[in-house]
Amino acid sequence: MPTEHIKVDALVVGGGIAGMQTALDLGDQGYQVALVERQSSIGGKMIDLSKVFPTLDCCSCITTPKMSATAHHDNINLLTYSEIESINRNGNGFTVQVTKKPRYVREDDCTGCRSCELVCPLEVSEDEHEFGRTSHRIVYVPFSTAVPQKAVVDIDNCIFCGKCIQACPSDAIDFTQQPEPVEIETRSIVLATGFETTPIDAKKEYGAGKLRNVISGMMMERLLAPTGPYGRVLRPSDGKMPASIAYVQCAGSRDQTLGVTYCSRVCCMYAIKQAMLLSGALPLAEITIYYMDIRTFGKGYEQFYQNAKAMGVEFLKGKVARITEDADQNPIVRVELIDEFGKTRVTERQHDLVVLSVGLLPGGNPQAKFGVPVGEDGFIQVPDYNVFPAVTSQPGIFVTGTALGPMDIVDSIMMAGAAASATASYLESSNGSGKEAQSQPERSVEYA
Amino acid sequence: MPEENVNKQAQAGQNPKDEEPRIGVYVCNCGGNIGDVVKCDMVAQTLGKLPNVTVAHSNMFMCSDPGQKMIADDIKEKGINRVVIGACSIFLHEQTFRRTLERAGLNPYLYYHVGLREQVSWVHHGTPKEATEKSIRMMAAGIAKARNMKPLEPVRLPAHRHALVIGGGVAGLRSALDLARRGLQVTLVEKSHYLGGRMAQWERVFPTNEEARPLLKRLIDQVLAEPNITIHTGAQVAGAKGYVGNYTVTIRQQPRGVRGTFPNEQGVMDVCPIKQRCEFNYGLSTRKAIYRPYKECVPEGLVIDWEHCTKCGECVQVAPEGMINLEEEAHEFTVEVGAVVLATGFQPYEPFYGEMGWKEYPEVITLPQLHRLLDDEGPSDGKFYWNGHPVRNVALIHCVGSRQVEGVHRAQMDGEVNNYCSRVCCTASLSMASLIRQKAPDAKIYEIYEDIRAYGRWHEDYYTRASKNNVTFLRYYAEEIPEVRRADEKAENPLLVKVRDHLTWGEEIEIPVDLVVLSVGMMPNPVQDLMEIFKVTPGSDRFLLEVHPKLRPVETAVNGVVLAGTAQGPMNIQESCAAASAAAAKVSALIEQAKVELEPYVAHVDPDQCQGSGECVKVCPQEEAIELKTFSENGRTFQRAVVTPANCNGCGVCVSVCPNRALDVQGWRLDEYEAMVEAIAADIPAWEGAA
Repeated sequence: MPTEHIKVDALVVGGGIAGMQTALDLGDQGYQVALVERQSSIGGKMIDLSKVFPTLDCCSCITTPKMSATAHHDNINLLTYSEIESINRNGNGFTVQVTKKPRYVREDDCTGCRSCELVCPLEVSEDEHEFGRTSHRIVYVPFSTAVPQKAVVDIDNCIFCGKCIQACPSDAIDFTQQPEPVEIETRSIVLATGFETTPIDAKKEYGAGKLRNVISGMMMERLLAPTGPYGRVLRPSDGKMPASIAYVQCAGSRDQTLGVTYCSRVCCMYAIKQAMLLSGALPLAEITIYYMDIRTFGKGYEQFYQNAKAMGVEFLKGKVARITEDADQNPIVRVELIDEFGKTRVTERQHDLVVLSVGLLPGGNPQAKFGVPVGEDGFIQVPDYNVFPAVTSQPGIFVTGTALGPMDIVDSIMMAGAAASATASYLESSNGSGKEAQSQPERSVEYA
Repeated sequence: MPEENVNKQAQAGQNPKDEEPRIGVYVCNCGGNIGDVVKCDMVAQTLGKLPNVTVAHSNMFMCSDPGQKMIADDIKEKGINRVVIGACSIFLHEQTFRRTLERAGLNPYLYYHVGLREQVSWVHHGTPKEATEKSIRMMAAGIAKARNMKPLEPVRLPAHRHALVIGGGVAGLRSALDLARRGLQVTLVEKSHYLGGRMAQWERVFPTNEEARPLLKRLIDQVLAEPNITIHTGAQVAGAKGYVGNYTVTIRQQPRGVRGTFPNEQGVMDVCPIKQRCEFNYGLSTRKAIYRPYKECVPEGLVIDWEHCTKCGECVQVAPEGMINLEEEAHEFTVEVGAVVLATGFQPYEPFYGEMGWKEYPEVITLPQLHRLLDDEGPSDGKFYWNGHPVRNVALIHCVGSRQVEGVHRAQMDGEVNNYCSRVCCTASLSMASLIRQKAPDAKIYEIYEDIRAYGRWHEDYYTRASKNNVTFLRYYAEEIPEVRRADEKAENPLLVKVRDHLTWGEEIEIPVDLVVLSVGMMPNPVQDLMEIFKVTPGSDRFLLEVHPKLRPVETAVNGVVLAGTAQGPMNIQESCAAASAAAAKVSALIEQAKVELEPYVAHVDPDQCQGSGECVKVCPQEEAIELKTFSENGRTFQRAVVTPANCNGCGVCVSVCPNRALDVQGWRLDEYEAMVEAIAADIPAWEGAA
């Protein structure tokens, strides 16, 4: 198969919010951009969220237009379902080998009509977007707002019954598809490789993932999302509407036993946000947040926290030591509370549902793949963190979003602008392009 | 691009103006934001019965790619030539849907947006039936407008590839550098006579523990090396005219009074008889009326404090001839720029008299003062001394001027308390605790806090280090402000801090200390004048307001005016630099092509109706937006009103006074309004669930 060649000014690695925004900010400045995303749709972690703090905008309403703008931008070449294989420095630029994984659906022909999905006889329950809470067909469009809106075949589970081939109106299904090599020649690279969340089974004191009614913050996002698995908040073990919900803060952050000593920066706010949304979804439910410090530091965040307190969300200072369950699988939280009455007590409190405010871990291994150093925390380390946070020690390679450390969406978007700006500065410099001979034109347009 | 679309339409022979309106109506559930209250499918179904409505759909997310595709497909396949969308606020997604129309080959202004979220679902969540009915009426009005809509073209103008950055602190410098490297011309104005702003006053910066001024100097050197950047210190914006792409900004520059550097600067300062509070050291020392702001300041050299200088001439005698000119006057000049970056920064919160002993006891200082105190170049040469004695016990009280509670804390002049978190003070205090520990290994250090917000990368390390360094932490609640009072005379330490500590079961603890440090928060620099000049607005926290924290985080509601750094809200240096860089990216995208597009919502004169009464010219609040011009035709001379679209802001005042109804605002014509009003008042079709 002939290798497809793409030549661009900047390659953005990762199609989450930081990567999309960087691509948009570079594309808007007139640079040619390739955006490579491993998943079958762009949108990253953000597209899985319900609403976003502190504005409580519906998350899709912020993400999907950006996804759409990225896909339709004249200067952005989008490669989804693609993996970066290797990066080689080539003069002042880079040659990047990318493999487009086979969707077993021809992207150019698929219209996203989902006829294939309707006739597919098999379902699997491993839906990465719903944390196993729902299922998808073997051939499926990843989610309703996916970009591109193209089907993909889960080939490992496919029985090749051929029903989808018959149903497809545009003859797009192709089981013979092979991985396609793509070679990208680029002058710069922006790493937007993002984060993963602390696995639910990371901490044995919190049940090591075996307690059915102990879920992660991301799972709660899905339960609260309008596109979520049940359309309402039900607890996993018996489908009961929880009347008492507890949040365990720092479940994976500021925890030396897990080797994660840093603060994950977003968990206080997402827990408070979810508590507010739960107060709306389950008006009678009691919601408790067990915390060490409430870190509502951003613009409008403290006011958001105070609103949650006023709405009746209970905030209790105390690091949860252990979570067990009773015979009805109700989680029991053991915690030392320092309450306002001047006494401390070790207590056990039963809840219907416990949400672990899991932390942020580095996504992937950028050091191995891109040769950029990482810090002890595993996130990319840059030489001048304060003044040039987007500039890595590798000339021509930049970093944005949570690849640089935990940050929330607002800060990721800010960092995306910073990375785009740093990349533009580089591209205009002699190292970036040899464009230095080309003098900047004076104002070419006179007043009318 | 818009031009292409026009051409395509022309080629295809499509002229929507002459066509029968075929209206596509789309009702967005907004992921439940609207749909949980308004029965969106009922709205769509009902509106589908109205004349000219060709299709009517509801969808979970109209703004998503599949939602937009639905509109585009209807335009292409069903010949839709007008689009009415009921969704969130127009501010959020007007641009999104305009682009959808453009991509589908339809003029982007043939679209009307009805705000069903802010104006319906969020305000009527208890009454779904009425909310649905209101949605139907509002959208019916939109449909009525759509029937009369005409295609519009944006006003296209050349733009200066030149940006003005206001503020020479770290954010302003960082913005200027990125803009210049992008190939744009930059004018940087700084109010004071040196660059670097507040960062120059820090001893060091977290989380890298670098010394602040060498780090700053490296940035300043890079800025100075850029030929595209012109710097004016001692300069302030006095006024501005124009609009995005084409601002003429008047800058007023105070003279420095001193021409350059010379060897005998110290001698010159020594002879000056005037002593003033040194702002750089936050009042911990004094300076003369001719002074050097700080040792390595850029631009180098002395500067005269005109407010306090008596022009006695002593300094002129001692200085080399011609170096000092006491008669120099302020001068004004203008720059023509395409965009403006507001990097106007912050000021530390100033406690009121007696707030935790502030000004009442000399042993109470603020965190910025502590920075100066611990600075090797500071007033005590970096020794941790107060009043000539080593400090052995020190208490740092957090959240002074931040996270204030109404009814507990005293309000600011505007009647509001500072209810926000200032973001940097926790880690700044912890990093200072580390520095104190280095300088005074035996000192007792108390951090009196509400929550420790060491949120950023490597911030937590400062917290851990402080704990290991035997820093004592005490936790108070905002409702019980710690009290600072004078100890009795025989006591070893001059002050006592009383705090109810919620880490020790609410115990009331009294700590004897030599020094109290108030970890004061951030407040925006007062920029009322700039807000008026550039018509930007503050948020409820008084910091300048962005359009949307996620969609347009550095832009203001005024196109072409962007925010950088702490003018927008509390940020640390890394965050300020990132924000400043993001602002530069936005400005580059805006003016890099040397052209801008403005909204076409400007006044339009119907020359057949205009009788040249001139009423419009009298009432127009804009300069040079509408004027009477003399024309002659068949030997007859007459006057007609002529609009300069670039200067018109579409306010419509002229429309209201025109005696001949010759004026209209494009996109908001009177006949459109009339149709809308009629539609709102008309009976709406029966809908299921209405009974």
